[in-house]
Amino acid sequence: MENIIKTFLLTDLLKGLWTTFKNQKPSKVVTEQYPLARPPVAERYRGAPRLNNHPETSETLCISCNLCALACPEQLIVVTSERNPETKRKDLTTFTYDVSRCMFCGLCEDACPVDALELTQDFELATFTREGQIWDRQMLEEGPLPVRYTH
Amino acid sequence: MEQLLANPYVQPLILTAVIILVFPLVAGYIVLAERKVLADLQVRLGPMRVGPYGVLQPLADALKLMLKEDIIPSRADKWIFWLAPVLSTFTALSAFAVLPLSDRFYVADVNIGILFILAMSSIGALGLILGGWSANSKYSLMGSLRAAAQMVSYEVPLGFATVTAIMCAGTLSMQGVIQSQFERGVWGAFDNFGLMLIPTALFIIAGTAETNRAPFDLPEAESELVAGFHTEYSGFRWALFFLAEYAAIVVISSLCVTLFFGGWLRPFPNVAFLELPLSTVFPVALFALIALGCLKGVPRQAIFGFKLVMLALTGAFLLLAAMFALPVTNEIVIGLFWFVLKLAVMVYLFIWYRGTFPRFRYDQLMDVGWKWLIPISMGGLILNGVVQLLARS
Amino acid sequence: MAATTLVPPPVQDDTFLDSNELVLNMGPQHPSTHGVLRVILKLDGETVLGADCVIGYLHRGVEKIAENRTYQQFAPYVDRMDYVAAVSNGLGYCLAVEKLLDVEIPPRAQAVRVILTELNRLASHLLWLGTHALDIGAITPVFLCFREREEVLSIFEKYCGARLTTHAFRIGGLQYETYDTFEKDCLAVCDLMQEKVKEYHDLLTGNRIWVRRTTGVGILNAADCKDYGVTGPVLRAAGVPWDLRKAQPYSGYEKYDFEIPTAKNGDTFDRYIVRMQEMEQSCRIIRQAVESIPEGPIKGKVGKVIKPPPGEAYVSIEAPKGELGYFVVSDGSLNPYRLRVRPPSFVNLGALDKMCRGTLVADVVAIIGTIDIVLGEVDR
Repeated sequence: MENIIKTFLLTDLLKGLWTTFKNQKPSKVVTEQYPLARPPVAERYRGAPRLNNHPETSETLCISCNLCALACPEQLIVVTSERNPETKRKDLTTFTYDVSRCMFCGLCEDACPVDALELTQDFELATFTREGQIWDRQMLEEGPLPVRYTH
Repeated sequence: MEQLLANPYVQPLILTAVIILVFPLVAGYIVLAERKVLADLQVRLGPMRVGPYGVLQPLADALKLMLKEDIIPSRADKWIFWLAPVLSTFTALSAFAVLPLSDRFYVADVNIGILFILAMSSIGALGLILGGWSANSKYSLMGSLRAAAQMVSYEVPLGFATVTAIMCAGTLSMQGVIQSQFERGVWGAFDNFGLMLIPTALFIIAGTAETNRAPFDLPEAESELVAGFHTEYSGFRWALFFLAEYAAIVVISSLCVTLFFGGWLRPFPNVAFLELPLSTVFPVALFALIALGCLKGVPRQAIFGFKLVMLALTGAFLLLAAMFALPVTNEIVIGLFWFVLKLAVMVYLFIWYRGTFPRFRYDQLMDVGWKWLIPISMGGLILNGVVQLLARS
Repeated sequence: MAATTLVPPPVQDDTFLDSNELVLNMGPQHPSTHGVLRVILKLDGETVLGADCVIGYLHRGVEKIAENRTYQQFAPYVDRMDYVAAVSNGLGYCLAVEKLLDVEIPPRAQAVRVILTELNRLASHLLWLGTHALDIGAITPVFLCFREREEVLSIFEKYCGARLTTHAFRIGGLQYETYDTFEKDCLAVCDLMQEKVKEYHDLLTGNRIWVRRTTGVGILNAADCKDYGVTGPVLRAAGVPWDLRKAQPYSGYEKYDFEIPTAKNGDTFDRYIVRMQEMEQSCRIIRQAVESIPEGPIKGKVGKVIKPPPGEAYVSIEAPKGELGYFVVSDGSLNPYRLRVRPPSFVNLGALDKMCRGTLVADVVAIIGTIDIVLGEVDR
């Protein structure tokens, strides 16, 4: 009997309607208006690569050991260096990083013995050309320019 | 000039022109309202980018649809492909002719107004069937076959519910139905000691199916048939189908409001002391509050033109509030106000269902229609008839 | 529509002149084939006479890529097979290589692995629920599910820096230590889920349309499941309590107390109920693991260069979608000689034809949704 009443009064459907109705409170909205409001990303976020400089001397930390290039599954890092005749150490000449092929796995970061290569929190990496995705040493040290969305 | 206005054809012609020109815009804003309400039900924001809070979205959409490439599939039957959306839109808009928007705004008060609406919505089904068939696509064909079966099946309970209401009112004229509810002092839905609630509920359910809205949106079930009967349509032809769908929603909702919820009558139409609070204070307060809301929303986003649009909206709503405050203008628009308010509640219901329920399956839809709705609606008809006969004699 | 070459030749019998049969080509671009699956349906009206899956639109040759990568380098690629449950994939791969290397995993690493995989099961099931409901026409649950999934993904993001393709585990243990509020966040997700599962039940379980759309649809009984090799919730919904976490515990699952939800009929509704209960069981496991998380190192004795001795190893785990197996053959070099994945989605998809026969077109999308396929894993 109870079931028959429930069938005719559509209680199950009304319960569903009430559930969605309750969701209408403005405080329940979870979406963000992305370019206007930027969500904070986690500290460990694996985003745009960066080549760190020494904070005081602003010389590169990279010792051109090539471990990142070896660790990379996509082999998208190319490091070249030349032997400094005075210090007998390798000096970094160029560092190329192809972001378009990068899958941000973080293996290069893990491999780096001196914390020179790091994946940062920057995630806005779109460019208008494919060439723009191939980052040279300067780009890696300075980071991509922050994009301002006007609309 | 006065002579011209006295001509019986002038006012209907002006209203017709206004409906045909304004309704596409109204439909656009119903779409926006649907997107906004759905977004609210789904804990998100909905359109926010075109204009403040997305209020200009319909204009952008209309522009986009008009500029889109007009594609006709190479194997399609060109003439029928062309005809189908036109037929759908034409019939849906024709039904507007008999809608009693208020005591003075209507194109025609035909003595068979309700029959006319039902006839037009039946012919409207033909547009869907032809559209699906002519596109020469299997998805479209299946969608249109479903549309045919569904609309024919659900017209029966819809018809029975309507007949019950007509029996209660004793007339087929739309204005007459409202007049009878005024005389009896009760909305159709609560007449016959509340027994009229049965046909009211059935009308809303069958009306949802008749307009192909969720959970009965099988002809265009997007998760099964991609887009059903209008899979192959794009651009402006698709927009016409869309227009027809929303016109059908407005027509069915209007019919429901007229038959069961007193049309342009205010609640408790015969209680005199409610005249001032319901006819003047309520609309003025409502529009003033909306205007206040618009004003409050002004400085939030620093987008060009945002302030301008929000201030314009504030002004518009204040103007409306002023209109209801003055007795002269109040008398003209108060009927329209109640009609549109009730219509809005009905449209909200349609959107609410869509945001909540899963879709029926084809065979279950037929099952619900033939095994449940039709017997119940027939029972409701007989019950109401007997009660009415006993009570009124 | 359908490519004419794929239409089966007409059968020479009484039904030869029956013009009701229709071949419908569903996908690869179709809103409910969960990616790029193509299903060729033979229909009589709306009744399905047979279904044929065409796969491979997302084939990337992952198994071949493995042969040209070192063991560590291949780990990020496994995330991209079942991208909805990337952590489970990573766990399966790491366990397989660890078996080859024969290393001991520290208990702390094992506990964190369990927590993350169970969180991933929650995320995967939530995505399944949302899209499954969407296939059946309920458009709201998908947003609610994504809202809860977001909480899980933000734990992944805080833990390892990525949300979807996490690369959370390394061979021999973990790369990252847990962050400060890790335990608190995990418990918060469990509490949230307990509350929200009720909301899903209100919205769907009791709803008569949902019940009618799912009961008796796509029945696959226990015997058929065994014939087709179907595993995971689909098998458990048919009444077989087979869960690798209990049957052959890995990564310390034997320490936790949980149940294997099963059902009787093996239809779509049962699979729905089983998955809903699995989410609650996952929360139970997460709570236990978080409370008993031991201190200690997070990485076992694994060198910088991984060079397993020649040999082969097969490890299978209970991924959200079923039994996920990794078979690794080593020839003693830096790269795997051969790597083979047993993807649950691919095997379960094989039963689609059996489940679809005699149902309606609308049921086909419900069935595709209920076997919970991810095309990245089907095609690899």
